Amino acid sequence: MKSLFIDTSTFFMNISVLEDKEVLASFHEEVHMDMASKIIPIIEELFLNLPFTIHDIDKIFVVNGPGSFTGVRVGVTVAKTMAWALKKTIVPLSSLEFLATTPVDTKYVIPAIDARRGYVYAGVYDRSMTVILKNQYMPYDELKSYLAEGTVVSYDVLEGKTTPHPDVSKIIELHKDDNGVNPHQLNPNYLKLTEAEEKKTKEE
Amino acid sequence: MNDVFILGIESSCDETSVSIVKNGEEEIATVVLSQMDTHASYGGVVPEIASRMHVENITMVIEECLTKASMTMEDITAIAVTYGPGLIGSLLVGVTAASTLAYIYQKPLVPVHHIAGHIYANNLERKMEFPLIALVVSGGHTDLIYMKENYSFEKIGGTLDDAVGEAYDKVARVASIPYPGGPLVDKLSQQGKDTYKLPTPLDDDSYNFSFSGLKSAVINLVHNEEQRGNEVSKEDLACSFQTRVVDILSKKTMRAIDQYQVHNLIVAGGVAANSGIRSKLKELCDQSGVNLTVPSLKYCTDNATMIAAAGYFAYTMGRRAGYDLKAKATDPLH
Repeated sequence: MKSLFIDTSTFFMNISVLEDKEVLASFHEEVHMDMASKIIPIIEELFLNLPFTIHDIDKIFVVNGPGSFTGVRVGVTVAKTMAWALKKTIVPLSSLEFLATTPVDTKYVIPAIDARRGYVYAGVYDRSMTVILKNQYMPYDELKSYLAEGTVVSYDVLEGKTTPHPDVSKIIELHKDDNGVNPHQLNPNYLKLTEAEEKKTKEE
Repeated sequence: MNDVFILGIESSCDETSVSIVKNGEEEIATVVLSQMDTHASYGGVVPEIASRMHVENITMVIEECLTKASMTMEDITAIAVTYGPGLIGSLLVGVTAASTLAYIYQKPLVPVHHIAGHIYANNLERKMEFPLIALVVSGGHTDLIYMKENYSFEKIGGTLDDAVGEAYDKVARVASIPYPGGPLVDKLSQQGKDTYKLPTPLDDDSYNFSFSGLKSAVINLVHNEEQRGNEVSKEDLACSFQTRVVDILSKKTMRAIDQYQVHNLIVAGGVAANSGIRSKLKELCDQSGVNLTVPSLKYCTDNATMIAAAGYFAYTMGRRAGYDLKAKATDPLH
């Protein structure tokens, strides 16, 4: 099975082409600006060095959140447009689960993404990738009870963090048999309402 | 020459729209998904909500347009997309989808300025003849543009402060006229009389406009009347305001036509739907033998049909973008 993996949910952009769980070509670098205008040229470049084209891809895996709202939209827009055009299905993946594939030597791995004002998007996994605490938008302080036995893996949450080394092969292996989603139905999973919606909900 | 079919994509504000236009003049199919009802409950467009809705709908709107046209992507000559100006998060969705389609189907990608789109909406009514003067009036623009030929835009004047549509919305707000204010002010204006003393905005020798003074005068008038315990007639206020706006727009437009010695006037943008502007310009153009074109109401608001129409001319002139096309919140018309 040939697959395309897209993660634009954090500034560490990862675009990879895989055959089963083997990564054949990959771009993983910090991209702080204009991710939208860089992504297609990057994908085009990856395929230049491969013996097959984008049309031979069987499945698209896309990280659909949580993370940077704009970043997530870029990856999801590319994935759903591409999957629609190529008549393929999409497997959505969690940015936090992807971060959690970073090897750690504690009981738990705690992927976290800064959501500002003391909040994070976070989850807790054990080392066999079983969900201990589901992905959510939460005050950072509420993670404290897991810190003694866990390692925070994050690019941007400062306290006691370990730099992520997420493993594309591992996340694809975990989800290789997931049912694909119709591209029209594939949407970002922001884990957070917009401020306008939050304000309105409060008023009501 | 073979027929050219342009697939246009527009997502600069709160409409997700895709259209297919033949040879820049014949609409084959258009789908417009408006988010207006959602934003109305917030009193205006919320950019983050707009971006979210664009992502949710973009592929469905593309598919629906092709289905409506009984065409496939293989039948499309090139893909045109609004790259700016507009809300950056909204633009990004359309631009990213367009780049992706261009890459997958190996089709030329044509960047279109949103205002060029509004101008070329007129080519869907009848073939635009040059040279011409274009009056662009919308929520973000109030410009007078001289076009010597296709895709040549010389701005001869513009607003120094508020765009005309913006002034309408602010006047609507202060007069407690619900969102969307502009069209309702226009409607009320037709039932009222020009009874309120309001200043004429920037009546000078330039082709520039200024509506902030007029807007402030309306705000002061409403507040003063409220303090005196007098009820403001919304109809008369709308009529007085609209009369000042229409008078100055048409005065400077007709002067431009005279000075640039053109016989063609086109009106473009959301405010081109305004009945006062349409009827006053028609009257003046009829008197002076000027050919006036205004877009049908459905082409006045944001839509991809106009983007595909403009895209045809941009395409035939060889304008192309790479897959690294950047969305731009602001960009001069060129």
